[in-house]
Amino acid sequence: MKEKTRSKEDTIEALHAVAAEMHDRMMRGEPPRMTLPVRSKKNINFDERLNVYKYGKKKTIRDATSLGSAHQLLRALFVTEFMEEMIEGQKSSTLREMYYISEGWGYGKFGSQNESNNLAEDLEIVTGCLREDFKLRPEEDGARIIGNLTFEERNRRGEWMRINCRDDVGDSGYGVPYNVESEKLRLLGHDIDFMMAIETGGMFDRLVENGFDESARCGLIHLKGQPARSTRRIMKRINEEWGLPIVVFTDCDPWSFRIFASIAYGAIKTAHISEYLATPSAIYLGIDSDDIKAYDLPADELTSRDIEALKAEKSDPRFQNQEWTDQIDLMLELGEKAEQQSLAKYGLDFVTDTYLPEKLRQKLGIHIG
Amino acid sequence: MVVEMDKAQRIANKQKQISISEFFEKNKHFLGFDTHQRAIITAVKEAVDNSLDACEEARILPEIHVYIKRIEGGKLELITQDNGPGIPRDSIANVFGKFLLGSRFHAIRQTRGQQGIGITGVVMYSQLTTGSSTTVLSKIEAESTAVKVDLALDTKNNRALKSNEERIPIEEWFEESGMQTLHGLRIKTVMSAKYQRGRQSVHQYLRMTSIVNPHATIRLKVIGKEGETVDEGEWVRSTSKLPRPVVEIKPHPHGMQFGTLQRMLKNTKERTVKSFLRKEFEKVSPLVAKKILEHAELDEKRRPAGLPVESIQSLLAAFMEVKIQSPPVDCLSPIEDLLIKKGLEKAIDSRYAATVTRNPSVSQGNPFQVEVGLVFGGDLPSDGTVELLRFANRVPLMYQQGGCLLTKGVESIDWRRYGLEQPGGKGVPKGPAAILVHLASTNVQFTSEAKEAVSDNEEVFDELRRALFEVGRGLQSHRKRIGQREKSREKFDLINKILPEIASKSSSMLGREPPDLSPIITKIMNAVFCEEEVIWEARDKLAKCSIKIYNYTARARAYTIIAKWPESDSTSIVQNERGGRKEARGLWAWRLDAIDPGSMTSIDFAVSGLNKGDWKEAEVFYRGNGEVIGSEKIDETLLEEARKQERLQEVVDEFIVPDVSTSFHQKDGVPLDSNVVSSEIWEAGDKLF
Repeated sequence: MKEKTRSKEDTIEALHAVAAEMHDRMMRGEPPRMTLPVRSKKNINFDERLNVYKYGKKKTIRDATSLGSAHQLLRALFVTEFMEEMIEGQKSSTLREMYYISEGWGYGKFGSQNESNNLAEDLEIVTGCLREDFKLRPEEDGARIIGNLTFEERNRRGEWMRINCRDDVGDSGYGVPYNVESEKLRLLGHDIDFMMAIETGGMFDRLVENGFDESARCGLIHLKGQPARSTRRIMKRINEEWGLPIVVFTDCDPWSFRIFASIAYGAIKTAHISEYLATPSAIYLGIDSDDIKAYDLPADELTSRDIEALKAEKSDPRFQNQEWTDQIDLMLELGEKAEQQSLAKYGLDFVTDTYLPEKLRQKLGIHIG
Repeated sequence: MVVEMDKAQRIANKQKQISISEFFEKNKHFLGFDTHQRAIITAVKEAVDNSLDACEEARILPEIHVYIKRIEGGKLELITQDNGPGIPRDSIANVFGKFLLGSRFHAIRQTRGQQGIGITGVVMYSQLTTGSSTTVLSKIEAESTAVKVDLALDTKNNRALKSNEERIPIEEWFEESGMQTLHGLRIKTVMSAKYQRGRQSVHQYLRMTSIVNPHATIRLKVIGKEGETVDEGEWVRSTSKLPRPVVEIKPHPHGMQFGTLQRMLKNTKERTVKSFLRKEFEKVSPLVAKKILEHAELDEKRRPAGLPVESIQSLLAAFMEVKIQSPPVDCLSPIEDLLIKKGLEKAIDSRYAATVTRNPSVSQGNPFQVEVGLVFGGDLPSDGTVELLRFANRVPLMYQQGGCLLTKGVESIDWRRYGLEQPGGKGVPKGPAAILVHLASTNVQFTSEAKEAVSDNEEVFDELRRALFEVGRGLQSHRKRIGQREKSREKFDLINKILPEIASKSSSMLGREPPDLSPIITKIMNAVFCEEEVIWEARDKLAKCSIKIYNYTARARAYTIIAKWPESDSTSIVQNERGGRKEARGLWAWRLDAIDPGSMTSIDFAVSGLNKGDWKEAEVFYRGNGEVIGSEKIDETLLEEARKQERLQEVVDEFIVPDVSTSFHQKDGVPLDSNVVSSEIWEAGDKLF
């Protein structure tokens, strides 16, 4: 995202423009307001040029005629003030810290961390800046990588450190930092054929223990559920800079479908920066709905929440293609879901000896062993 | 119960060997001693009901203490102590040793005792299950010492056996009773019983009793075997107004049943059926008696005792054909709505209380009266079903809720429209509320001898529904007021706190001049708001009301503001600098000058003669153009109607001479029935809007 990051002055100016919109309106005797794109699945469109989903033209006006919106405007001003201080003082804070700092903001106090995270995103969208420009960072990035990949990361002392994700790390792998832009992380070299993203920690550890990274000549990355921005960004860079395919291996449930969509097409919450985070060529490896029958996997019944989620996905523009419609309909029809680890029914090696080789052959034409 | 004991007596007379203890043993399910859990509740109930009845008759404000101790062998020791009149030494054996037989046979009045076997049952149960005697300690005011005696029952002869009788000096009485009272009664007994907590417990029984007896102070302490506290409760009196003394009346012909009539005919001292009808029934004048006998084709000189069955039946039929005045209703003792409110507030912490006492009416010759109370909000749990508190003649009904007419009445209302949850619009509603239902009647009809569920009766049901509708409407308008108040408070926060901060922050951040907020405020609010607050000032014993009118529109507005206040003979408006005038009973009006855009006018006044909690929110109405949020436009036609009724009432009042019963209240230092008057007017006011 190097290309996009702004200078100190530009960022402050962009933030001031938000305050100026409010002030101008008040000088005209009108209630202050903020204009934002609608951030829901109703307002994401496929961008032909970028090959990802971006926010559409629908705008929402947040004006001070209701108490809730007035709170939001005041919070935006408090957050702006706070960011200015950090930019000037060359400090940074986590989103969580900002949430706690807001305790002292009186009526500008956040009710929950979700509110403060959302407002940080709102400001990104209206200013066109990134939260890195605001000196805000996420609480934790999460992702771990294992495999024969070599990065160079600039450490706290400003020195570049060479790290091979197979030889220089322990069993937990290489921890992806929250900033993975080229000023912090360089992609040096690799000897693998593809990257595999894995939803659950249990499955990641299983593949590591079975030495799947070496036997299948791949890099393994643990998503930790819905992947953080830096996780998606590093996959995007690996895909673009090294030309390596990304395959995604998840549970078989409606939430896993959403994880894949955020990797491949862009997430609804971060659709303003989809072009930096999404990997359109990513491939969903499994577990597919028909695998439940094909492999006779132990399955759980869909809950009412699952069914609601599936129905919502049917009207989500990102799932409007034959393949996904079929997947969703099939899952609704079967009324069942399955976990990655249900493959252990056939023994601990089944996933690496049988399931994954079969799926890779079927979906990527990659032959292992 | 009386009837059953009579039956027992008859059985006993026929077969001498059947003892009363056998009768007790056979019938303990409806005497309330069928389970160990229930036995202790029944025992407490008999003792407490006696105490309350005795205090009421002696015009004493009751203080009742209940101690229960768990002892070895699955037994409980029960001590009840009251400050009632006490029992003279020579009457003790009678009160505790004889079952209630016939003493109140013909008298019809509303008493608690109607519903129990009496304290003798407790003595009997104790003796049957543990072989122990019951100790009674009684102090009457006329004597300087108390009397202490152990009682056992001679079940064959239906009388008490006294032992260990002694006189107790006053100091010892003070110490043992734990009360500085010159009169009172202490009962100590041991029985096979089990103390349990929950919806059917002594605690719940006393809590419910305290609700319908706001003039009583009741304390409970339950101690375990190790001396640990198992349960406790304290309900302090919230009024010093005693219930109205009940008057005994004779039966009314419309309520007669064959058996009762037959017995009355047999027992009467009157020599002719005509004088029998005139003397032993309510509302039977010589003319009415004549008509009845004509219808029944009976000679008026016939002797009552010798009437054949067919004649009794034709007499019964004639009762229904002849027009007879309804029985008097002053024999009832309703709790009265203001006192229900106090009782509920004593036991349940809530935000809102509404109560309705319906006027007495008559069903099948029996006067009855329905009262309903509803509390809402505060600490009441919002997830479960509403607590239903059922009472018959001030006695809590704790069992058989489902089969009770009072429950059916509550279930038949669609509470959803009043803001309570109720799946399907039927059944006991859910939400943070409690509903009290009280049926006062000279003859409460129960579904069974257990006397825990009121049986179906269309008239009672209809009255009950009317009362419930009324409290429901009250709840609805309370919730509406709360909603409006919340909404306007939000708006006030917005313009008074948040908007100024947005203005100052944005201007200082940008280094620009601060904007003028008044046009923005007008745009955001674009309405006139009314805020009302009533606070209790303990120092001056005043309820202070403040009404503020904010004009946030673009032009000047003028209104007349009308506030509803608890007007009665004992209350008055004070500290009312704006003056204004009386609009109608309970309604005071102020005509305000035009309020400029962006400005506020306030009305402040206080009401004296109230107690804390009597008045918590003032309803505010307005007259004028344009809506006032937080207040309602007054309905002029209804207002005119109310004024007319009032003038009529004034004329009526002039002709009414205070009767004897009012002197009773004056003696107690309580203004004569002022609460009743005000509550009726209050009720009339409610119907207005």
